[in-house]
Amino acid sequence: MKISKEKFGQAFDALVPEYQVIAPVSDANGIAFKGVKSFSEVKQDYLNSKLPPKAFFFPQHEKLMSYKKEGKDVTVKSELKVEDTILFGIRPCDAKGMQLLDMVFKNDQYTDPYYFERRDKSVIIGLACSKIAPTCFCSSFGMSPAGSEGSDILLIDLGDSYEVEVITEKGKALAARFEALSDLSAEEQALVDKIKSAETASKVDVANTTSKLDKMFNSPFWDTLQEKCIGCNVCSFSCPTCHCFDISEEVRKNEGTRVRTWDACMAPLFTLHGSGHNPRDNKKARWRQRLMHKFNYFVHNNGAMACVGCGRCIKSCPVNMDIRQVIDGANKAELVVE
Amino acid sequence: MNNIINEIREKARQLLAEGKVDVVIGYEKGSLPLKATPCFVHSPEGVDSLIWDETCENNLAAYAAKTPGKKAIITKGCDSRALAVLLQENQLVRDDLFIIGVSCSGVIDQRNILAEVGEILEAKISDGKISVKGMEGDKEYLFAEVKDATCQTCRYPNPVMEDLHIGETIEVAQDAPAFADVVALEEKSASDRQDYFKEQMSKCIRCYACRNACPLCYCQECFVDCNSPRWLTGGVNRAENLFFQAGRVLHLAGRCVDCGACTRACPQGVDIRALNRKMTKDVYVMYNHEAGIGEEGKPALNEYTTNDPEQFLVKE
Amino acid sequence: MIMGEIQVDAENKKYEPKIAAFLCNWCSYAGADLAGVGRVQYPATIRTIRVPCSGRINPLYVLKAMANGADGVLVSGCHPGDCHYISGNYVARRKFALIKSLLSHVGLEEDRVNFSWVSAAEGIRFAEVVKGVTERVSALGPNNGIFKVDDGGAADE
Repeated sequence: MKISKEKFGQAFDALVPEYQVIAPVSDANGIAFKGVKSFSEVKQDYLNSKLPPKAFFFPQHEKLMSYKKEGKDVTVKSELKVEDTILFGIRPCDAKGMQLLDMVFKNDQYTDPYYFERRDKSVIIGLACSKIAPTCFCSSFGMSPAGSEGSDILLIDLGDSYEVEVITEKGKALAARFEALSDLSAEEQALVDKIKSAETASKVDVANTTSKLDKMFNSPFWDTLQEKCIGCNVCSFSCPTCHCFDISEEVRKNEGTRVRTWDACMAPLFTLHGSGHNPRDNKKARWRQRLMHKFNYFVHNNGAMACVGCGRCIKSCPVNMDIRQVIDGANKAELVVE
Repeated sequence: MNNIINEIREKARQLLAEGKVDVVIGYEKGSLPLKATPCFVHSPEGVDSLIWDETCENNLAAYAAKTPGKKAIITKGCDSRALAVLLQENQLVRDDLFIIGVSCSGVIDQRNILAEVGEILEAKISDGKISVKGMEGDKEYLFAEVKDATCQTCRYPNPVMEDLHIGETIEVAQDAPAFADVVALEEKSASDRQDYFKEQMSKCIRCYACRNACPLCYCQECFVDCNSPRWLTGGVNRAENLFFQAGRVLHLAGRCVDCGACTRACPQGVDIRALNRKMTKDVYVMYNHEAGIGEEGKPALNEYTTNDPEQFLVKE
Repeated sequence: MIMGEIQVDAENKKYEPKIAAFLCNWCSYAGADLAGVGRVQYPATIRTIRVPCSGRINPLYVLKAMANGADGVLVSGCHPGDCHYISGNYVARRKFALIKSLLSHVGLEEDRVNFSWVSAAEGIRFAEVVKGVTERVSALGPNNGIFKVDDGGAADE
């Protein structure tokens, strides 16, 4: 089924009073996901945002609670404020990234309320990629530029209209607001099939990477791998699946807040103990952690690789460390018999 | 160019084969078009990956102190100035360093190209022209059009210190530094400048790529990571971002060699150089000092004269 | 040091700024002391932090004071040539010039951050400096500028 962009725009605008609507817009620095008030603000033709949209569920810096002591009374206040949200124009890689984050923030013992309050109150309208960048490699992970995993509704751009695919119940409820759905013409169907069958030109072979990494903790591969890395946090902050954070207390006089801030395994401070001991006190250990976490530990814990092939870390790295080459290098590294 | 590359490789091979150095730090072709990537060559067999062209944008001096052993470094003008400051500050042992100097006519800033042609699919550099095939179209640029801002006014394209020079040297026309960019900002009103820096700082995501790419940011513990006293809360907001950037820039005042590595490293396009350049200008105007233009000397803030200007004092 | 709130005298509705004053132990702190002993009147707007030498001033002190909500900063040391440690204030002088210049460049009001030399004998002058700084900072009003951290703040040291 399809809806004309005009009709979709009207439906979109009608949703604005009820929802916080987040969509890709063009700003001074490229494409960013931001709150919009009208469909006309939405950037139509874009590859993907510079930073991943994960921040809408897992902000870079978030107040968890605040507290105040007055005399003997202590008041504790939750700082969680959640609005019904629509995330429009999320690319399939990022939508999949959200699914991977879900696995982190929810397990059989604990559900992170800060993440899931937002997650549960939002609907993701995915938008299939009609253009594929040279740094895109999602097809390596069994995904595709028109994959629907993680989206509640998936749209495919047909020029004047969108093909609408309802993926989840949540998506179904929202899609009820789109009127004037009509059938696709044969030509349009062919275009949809073409977009759906597209693959990224760039691919890495990850078939055996996890089992290979099982045996690579002491490999000399890590010695040379890390040399050119400058240890900044760009790759982690621009990754749709990186989720490490730090919790700290910001106290002033008799009141304070507890905040959660993105952290990154590439920073030495990440593992620094209160004693001064740092179990990962060199770049080699940190790079091993980064790769192992994404392609080994996460697979063992959650059954999926923590990489969606969006290519952001490749594009933004100041020294052009390319995760595809790193995986390739690990695949080819000789195993050392211990 | 090809001759330079061959000579670099030959020299690297020689140094490694003779055991004079443990590693040669240079550049190899990156995984993306118009990108070189730093490369560490440990054995003579590896030297053929070394390259040299207008894409060699990283400041390799950043690796000098962190790489153990004796090392040879392919060194541009700005890299050599950074090495000079590091030596002045006793961060390096000169005998552990073999400086392979190359004159640099500037490096490419991809930002404008990306903005015009989208993601770059293919690119070719020849005869001072860069032809780019992008996702949004093709375009040919003159090198001068896409040269990094810092290279446009570079006065030290030739290394200020080196053990060996490869290729020809470049003649420099200017004899005094030009600060048109700083003056343009200074001429704006305080509130316009405030607006400008507010906008810049709101882009910063505090990934510290600028700090880590900087050859002269080598503190064992950066003030932003310091727990006691806790200078920054870890909050990522405009005010704290400015605190970080201003703190860093003041720490680099009189030391910054204006290589532009911080600005090129920034994934968010923050105009970090606008701050650094202001300090560079002030230090030049007030103390007639340029950082790292020779092995001898001291950073400007380690020195003083009894008649340094005092206009900053209160009027009382 | 707590600079969090803006002091407003409810009765008189008069805004009174809070100014972080970093004074060198040997000259300006002694000058402030002399002003006190001599009963020289000056506005009670400064919060004095004694430092061993103006050379001890870390630019981060100034930034942190602004971030924590100080309305102004005053840094004062010995006159050039009089440093107890011979050259501490000479070295500091270059640093101060650059701090002042950078902060103005990013759009902080000129009068928020102040530097002066006050000797141990200049009690009256110290009072004059504080008066002058207070007047100028008062004219600017509360620090809502580019360094003020709106929420969270930092742990007290």
